[in-house]
Amino acid sequence: MAESAVVEQNDKERRYPPGDLAIWIFILAELSVFAVFFAAYAFTRLNHVELFNEYQQHLDRRSALINTLALITSSYFVVRAVAAIKADNAKGCIRWLLAAIGMGFVFLVVKSMEYAHHFSLGVNLSTNTFYMFYLSLTFFHFMHVMMGMIILAAVAFKAKQGAYSATEHTGVETGASYWHMVDLVWLILFPLVYVMR
Amino acid sequence: MEKQQKFGLRPCTWVYLVLVGLTFVTFFIGQMGLSGLKVALAVLFIALLKGQLVGDFFMGLRRVKGLWRWPVFIWLFIPGTLITTAFYLAARAST
Repeated sequence: MAESAVVEQNDKERRYPPGDLAIWIFILAELSVFAVFFAAYAFTRLNHVELFNEYQQHLDRRSALINTLALITSSYFVVRAVAAIKADNAKGCIRWLLAAIGMGFVFLVVKSMEYAHHFSLGVNLSTNTFYMFYLSLTFFHFMHVMMGMIILAAVAFKAKQGAYSATEHTGVETGASYWHMVDLVWLILFPLVYVMR
Repeated sequence: MEKQQKFGLRPCTWVYLVLVGLTFVTFFIGQMGLSGLKVALAVLFIALLKGQLVGDFFMGLRRVKGLWRWPVFIWLFIPGTLITTAFYLAARAST
């Protein structure tokens, strides 16, 4: 059956979000932590507006753009992976997942280059309040990207072993939900830290 | 979730293109060096809109009924409100 037809069948309303409910509890916990970080950044900035505005200009916005596009694209690939497995297309699912992981690598490489640049200038957590937030927030997210890539790799490995099908694909949806959460957090982090002033 | 639509593109593909377009809008606002409360809130609104699109179309929450329909919306709303408040207070303090 074509992917679009199968997916259309799954279009009906459901009571619970896609994937294992446990991952959603975990996602909500993770999102809460990031929400506290974002609020802390915004309210700390309140007392250091000039400092935040000045050092924000030292960040590489082009790298942030590439990283945002990489994560959005990877999320899209993961959506296609879920659609593929729902159509019983395990090979297609694996290909989309590997493509998503590839985009994750792009993110890690670009972010690492950005860190290397800052570290070469002697920037660290104690340089000033802005860099403390920038480094801790982005590195916390960086670790989530790595975790998401490991999860997607594990899902791809299981898909290769034939663990998923059109009727049983909860594992794929679970990994996908986590990866979308990683994307979601970056969509707020990018404008907040790199653009809003 | 993803039936074929206009020009043979799935809804998720349209959403992806919108997300890319809004990302470039945010980037160019940053590159132009625009600042101030209105600009900051416009950028924040774009980010929240993108987040809602990811929640609805990528995470598949638009097809969920009841309580589980809203976690992403609520999550976006809370930090969105706090960030708006902090930027508003910062703008007011500087005038």
